[in-house]
Amino acid sequence: MVKFKNAASAYKTLNGLICVYKPPCVPVKQVQHIIKTNLCRDLNALPVRPREQRVEIVGATNEPMMVKLVPNYADDPLVCGPRYIHEDIRCSWATHLGLFSSGVLLLGINEGTRLTYKINTGRPTRAFKVHGQLGKATDTYFWNGKTVERSTYHHITREKIDQVVAHIQAAHQKTMFEMSGLHMESQTTYELASQGLIRPASSKLPVIYGIKCVDFKPPNFTLEIQSINEYDKYLWTLVHDIGVQLRSTAHCVGVNCIRQGKFDLELALLRKHWQLEHIVDNMNQCSQLLEENEQLLKPESAVLTA
Amino acid sequence: MALTSAFMCFGNKKVIKLICTHYAKCSNISALSVKQNFSENVLETASEDLSHITPYFSNTFNLAAYVNNSDTLKKLVDINVDLSKIEKKPYIVNKILKLDFENHMKEHIVFLNDYIGLDEVGNFLTKNPLILCEPIQDLQVRVNYLESKGFQNDQIKRIISWNPFWLMFNTIRIDRRFGYYQKSLQLTGKEVRDLTTRQPKLITYNLHHVKCNMFVIKEEMGFEDEEMKNMVLNKPKLLMMSQQTLLERFNYLHNVMQISHRTILKYPEVLFSRNFKIKQRHLFLSKLGRAQYNPTKENYIPIKSLVLDTDAEFCNNIAKCSVYDFNLFLKTL
Repeated sequence: MVKFKNAASAYKTLNGLICVYKPPCVPVKQVQHIIKTNLCRDLNALPVRPREQRVEIVGATNEPMMVKLVPNYADDPLVCGPRYIHEDIRCSWATHLGLFSSGVLLLGINEGTRLTYKINTGRPTRAFKVHGQLGKATDTYFWNGKTVERSTYHHITREKIDQVVAHIQAAHQKTMFEMSGLHMESQTTYELASQGLIRPASSKLPVIYGIKCVDFKPPNFTLEIQSINEYDKYLWTLVHDIGVQLRSTAHCVGVNCIRQGKFDLELALLRKHWQLEHIVDNMNQCSQLLEENEQLLKPESAVLTA
Repeated sequence: MALTSAFMCFGNKKVIKLICTHYAKCSNISALSVKQNFSENVLETASEDLSHITPYFSNTFNLAAYVNNSDTLKKLVDINVDLSKIEKKPYIVNKILKLDFENHMKEHIVFLNDYIGLDEVGNFLTKNPLILCEPIQDLQVRVNYLESKGFQNDQIKRIISWNPFWLMFNTIRIDRRFGYYQKSLQLTGKEVRDLTTRQPKLITYNLHHVKCNMFVIKEEMGFEDEEMKNMVLNKPKLLMMSQQTLLERFNYLHNVMQISHRTILKYPEVLFSRNFKIKQRHLFLSKLGRAQYNPTKENYIPIKSLVLDTDAEFCNNIAKCSVYDFNLFLKTL
């Protein structure tokens, strides 16, 4: 753990990427706000810059005047406010996580805001654990929606769900080539395809690379999904579709992002650890990870690596 | 002569010109000759003391622009008044800037010093600077009123230091509020005094809010009158919480965790803890199969352990596992 002597040196080190664990039902905006508030609080608690001095020329004007150095009251934290405020800290997220989703969230702080842009354009894959429940369909495809349909689910077995999920994965393999922006019958496409999976060219349409049922205890089931360009509503509809294809109904009860690029849950900071020391610590780990994996920021080819 | 040299120190030609023409009009001398007259004088050195002349203060967004030139503001900073917080409300600043330390503030600060101590005066004035605009006799009357109602001296000190806004309320209002609490909660005189000393802010709190919270506790949460009285006397903060969060927390405790009213009555502090904290610990315990809150059965988990202590202590003493496991669990929520 890093210990800081004064606030200025701490503020200087606050440039980079951090990886936090976003709890469900807390919007990303609020996560940003909490982190900014906590950083300001911790920075102001450290020894801050002392009050500046001020030159004053005093005395009668018709006599030799005195030049004095007096403390500048206008620079006192009691007058001009605390030394570090929200506006001093920039903070941006790499990829958005919906309100009800939880999991790994990459945030850039100060100079790190550029890194988040680069990571976003580098399109790393994200892995999700999507929890679904069979037997009920809702109008929002999520647990908070109105129930629109109920059905039985006793006929569903692990094999059936695996089959449906495998179909979805196969269908997405085909779209992956279409999304790569290359001509389907060219040599380049062949060479890329022979190396493995390909990144999509656009940032709009979701592509699923892997989908697998990892847990099945009727009526609950859990899917593990690796994908790019997805968003929470898309994952909810996916669960709904799986329910329909299983001749039943299903709705999503939770979305948990477990990995983004090389950043996994192990690295993510929990809400109770959103403090200056932990954040700086996490920042160092993240920068080390970025140094080891340059392809995260500057992918050289469309082949999927991370 | 003093006038002309004053202009010199500004050194602003436009101003001189303007004043010259004005001067000329008044004294019926041709403008040109006066101008010459002035320009001669402008070059002369002034022999009078001009240190009392300062440029005027322009409009500003904050008090920092004035503080170096105002002894009053400097003294306020010296007693730890946070001007940056006061200036958030411009209507208060307008009133404060018209006051003078020696004439208007000193008496008040000496008066407050008797009740809250000099260290706390700064904090007090930060929260309620408008007390400086109240007549000192009124403040004395309000303190005397408390004495007449049988409050001890240390109780009065506590009331004033805990609730900086208390002295802003006139005795009629305070009296009405005492009456309201006495009637709605059926308190005796001593209980009203205890309640006031325990949480002085409650008496001056928004009565509509308090009424709504009483409704929430009685009708929506389903406590009896007597139970509510005990709970409020024990934890007056309950009436000042937001109704929505109060109900949300109670809902989770009572309907999800199946904790009875009686258990909550014994330890109403659980309602002060943020919901996610209780939720995390409860879900963790139920995952371990240890979420057993009934004191008559074995492996009983006291309800207060869900809100007290750090996570490390909770894991050690209650959940009997390592914090690492708890953190891993939190990352699956």
